[in-house]
Amino acid sequence: MEIAPLTPVVYNFKKIGPVPSATDMVDIVLTRTQRKTPTVIHPGYKISRIRSFYMRKVKFTQQTIAERLGNIVENFPRLNDIHPFYADLMNILYDRDHYKLALGQINTAKGLIDSLSRDYIRLLKYGDSLYRCKQLKRAALGRMCTIIKRQKSAFAYLEEVRKHLSRLPALDPHTRTLLCTGYPNVGKSSFMNKVTRANVDVQPYAFTTKSLFVGHMDHRYLRWQVIDTPGILDHPLEQRNTIEMQAITALAHLQCAVMYFVDASEQCGYTVEQQVSLFKSIKPLFANKQLIVVINKIDVQPWETLEKTKKSLITEMCEAANCTMMCMSNVTEQGVMDVKTAACDKLLQARVEKRVVGKKVDEVMNRLQVFHPAPRDDEERTAFIPESVAQARKEGRVGSADHKVKKTTAGYGVTKNDGDVDMDVRKTERDIMWEMGGPGVYSMDYRKNYLLEKDEEKFDAIPEIMDGKNIADFVDPEIDLKLAALEAEEDQRMAENQAKNMGEEPESDLDSDEEEAFSKIRTKKATSREESRINRKQNTPVMPRNVRGRKKDKHDVGLLDSVEGHLDGLGVESSGVKSNVRGRKRERRERNDDSVAEEMDLDTTGMSKGALKKMKKEKKEAPKRENSLARSHSRPREPSQVGLRDEEAKKVATKKEMTAKRAWSGLSGEGDQRKTVHLVKWMNTGKKRNGTHNKR
Amino acid sequence: MPQHEHMERHRKLHGRRLDADERERKKEARSAHKRSEFAQKVHGIRAKLYNEKRFKEKAALRKTIAEHNERDNKHSNDDAVADGAVPAYLLDREGVSRAKVLSNTVKQKRKEKAGKWDVPIPKVKPVADDEMFKQLKTGKKQNKAWKRMVTKVTFVGENFTRKAPKYERFIRPTGLRFKKAHITHPELKATFHLDIISVKKNPSSSLYTNLGVITKGTVIEVNVSDLGLVTTTGKVVWGKFAQVTNNPELDGCINGVLLV
Repeated sequence: MEIAPLTPVVYNFKKIGPVPSATDMVDIVLTRTQRKTPTVIHPGYKISRIRSFYMRKVKFTQQTIAERLGNIVENFPRLNDIHPFYADLMNILYDRDHYKLALGQINTAKGLIDSLSRDYIRLLKYGDSLYRCKQLKRAALGRMCTIIKRQKSAFAYLEEVRKHLSRLPALDPHTRTLLCTGYPNVGKSSFMNKVTRANVDVQPYAFTTKSLFVGHMDHRYLRWQVIDTPGILDHPLEQRNTIEMQAITALAHLQCAVMYFVDASEQCGYTVEQQVSLFKSIKPLFANKQLIVVINKIDVQPWETLEKTKKSLITEMCEAANCTMMCMSNVTEQGVMDVKTAACDKLLQARVEKRVVGKKVDEVMNRLQVFHPAPRDDEERTAFIPESVAQARKEGRVGSADHKVKKTTAGYGVTKNDGDVDMDVRKTERDIMWEMGGPGVYSMDYRKNYLLEKDEEKFDAIPEIMDGKNIADFVDPEIDLKLAALEAEEDQRMAENQAKNMGEEPESDLDSDEEEAFSKIRTKKATSREESRINRKQNTPVMPRNVRGRKKDKHDVGLLDSVEGHLDGLGVESSGVKSNVRGRKRERRERNDDSVAEEMDLDTTGMSKGALKKMKKEKKEAPKRENSLARSHSRPREPSQVGLRDEEAKKVATKKEMTAKRAWSGLSGEGDQRKTVHLVKWMNTGKKRNGTHNKR
Repeated sequence: MPQHEHMERHRKLHGRRLDADERERKKEARSAHKRSEFAQKVHGIRAKLYNEKRFKEKAALRKTIAEHNERDNKHSNDDAVADGAVPAYLLDREGVSRAKVLSNTVKQKRKEKAGKWDVPIPKVKPVADDEMFKQLKTGKKQNKAWKRMVTKVTFVGENFTRKAPKYERFIRPTGLRFKKAHITHPELKATFHLDIISVKKNPSSSLYTNLGVITKGTVIEVNVSDLGLVTTTGKVVWGKFAQVTNNPELDGCINGVLLV
């Protein structure tokens, strides 16, 4: 078996990017410069900025062009680097000199543009105005574009080459290859269509195939490529045209099995003598290749009935070249596969032999070892053939020419013309299914195929085993009955009990008073719960504590009153509560208030209307004020004033702070760290008579 | 046909759709409208480029139309050929367009009338000193301003060395020195890249001539030995005058016309 090469080089020229025309190239480059470089400049800018602005434009354009042209030069295959087959093919199709010249010119243009941009950037360094810089940039870009435009023909040529190159068949020069050759119209393309799926155009005129075609096929689990070449005529190499030269190139450079097609019927328009002479003239190309001479079109002109002279010509030719000769016909497909197999095998053998001769094979061979086990005794161990089959063979039912494979309706519904079906074929499960009513109606029972010691046990239930014990052993067969009896008993007892309790009240431990109190407590609890639920504030802004005061310090007049009422309601003595809750100071003020009020009550007669009104208002707002006072008292002190005894101390502190903060504007103190020249006043002021200011 | 020419192959196998010709005709007929629509819509740089392209196309079109019409035009040449029998010595004579000859002679006369030293650019805008030179500050305190730097393109001789800084009044920066010029031969109508030998005359000032400053209208001497021009006595001419026709400091190259 052959070993596939480790790194197959695939020649695929499809990835070459398109080559724009010269005008397009100019457009591409200039728009790119316009888009990718800054566009706003003003004559008022610093000259260095203006210069760099234009230098950047020139440099950028040059870089873009260099990149583009470089890509072209790089992407196109270099004739020296690729396989000689492709190099030669390209020489024939596109003319090697022309190709090299075009690429060379583009490379030169790239160099020219590089040096041009260098020159202009040097000149831009001396630009002294925006106008001059702009003109220089304009000239630079213009000259670059001119250089590109001069390569118009090279660009056009390379684009054509690229298009054609990308459409060349993906031919691998290193792999297993069969190659068809011969005069035009001898059946090369037809053979190709027979063995592969290439679908090459076949027409009854010469030179239908104008280029190389590649098809692929499988043989012995390997991939083979078949190359169909254009027909070649018998004349000197110099006179051959491009179409023929492609065939010659393929013949010359590819390691392959060659099939030389000979049309013995002479339908192609060339005599057998001509075909033989062509063979002789291109014989040097067959050196080191596996050659098969294929006599084609034997449906028209069988080999046996061929004229003797022609026959002898062909046989002599084959003998001289030391190659095999085979006959085939594309029309009847007779011998096509034989030719293919023979060619493949020949090539494969040659390739393997070549590998074995080479050095590389040792690496593989060292790792291979083939064992032939020694026979342990003389006993013959032949293949096992079932008796039925042996019988059938003996009767000639199997393996003979008239043996017909028995048909069955397996898998299909019963049809009308089932008469030709041989019914002694074993029924499959599908057949049974159709007989019993089709899918969905019949489902097969796998148990009937069980292989057991006793056949009658097939359909028995399989015991379920758990923890090594049969579950069935622990199942009471009468469990359902027992359970039903138990439930019936329970129902009966419950009914009896109900009947017994029918006349009685539900009992309670409490007497009537307690009952009442209990219900009161319950309602109270419920209301308070409800109240708190309503009063509970959710999602309301929270007042900061220094504003609202501490909760425990907060004096709520209403609350106090309600406490008294509450206590009265509960029957508790409430007279002293209020005075207990409030401090002495408060009492004093209350007293004062009372006295004032008393006074007021006394003096109202002598007062003016306005004063009376004012007084009334004050009296009315007295509770509010009391409230606010309470709040202010309970408010915590400002942190900055903590530790200050009274208003006086606070004032002193603020003043000290202010003085400390005061900016020392224009005044220097001893803490200043500045060190300046000490200017002497008489030296620095007044009129300067003698000499300049600096002189002094 | 390479293996991958699938379009052609498909056409060969299946033909084209039945209305293909009709569709092509319609597409062609619509193309004018399409183009007009685009031309009306487009603006900015694209419009400029498009109009330029369209103008060229139209010019080419007019040209071809004119060429086709030429067949019908009457040429005076045809009439000039004498009818009937012609003596043998006149057989290969072609009719000459009379108008052409006239115009040629007029031109010739005008040429002769003009002076021998007639140059392609007779008048040039003078270049002032402050445009030509940039003042350089020198001295330890940068307070001296006697040095000048030339801001235009110059030519300096091959073996030129700069003077000592103390004595060098005019600096000609290396970046602005040129050695070659593109000179057009007016009769050959061909342009050559020639070496400059010297600056003969800068019309603005003799100082500029001495410094070798090259501006528009400057007459320079160029090396024409490559052209293979020969004098009447058979000697090869190697130095010839040429006038600069562009602003080298703006274009970055020197273009000129050979004075013959």
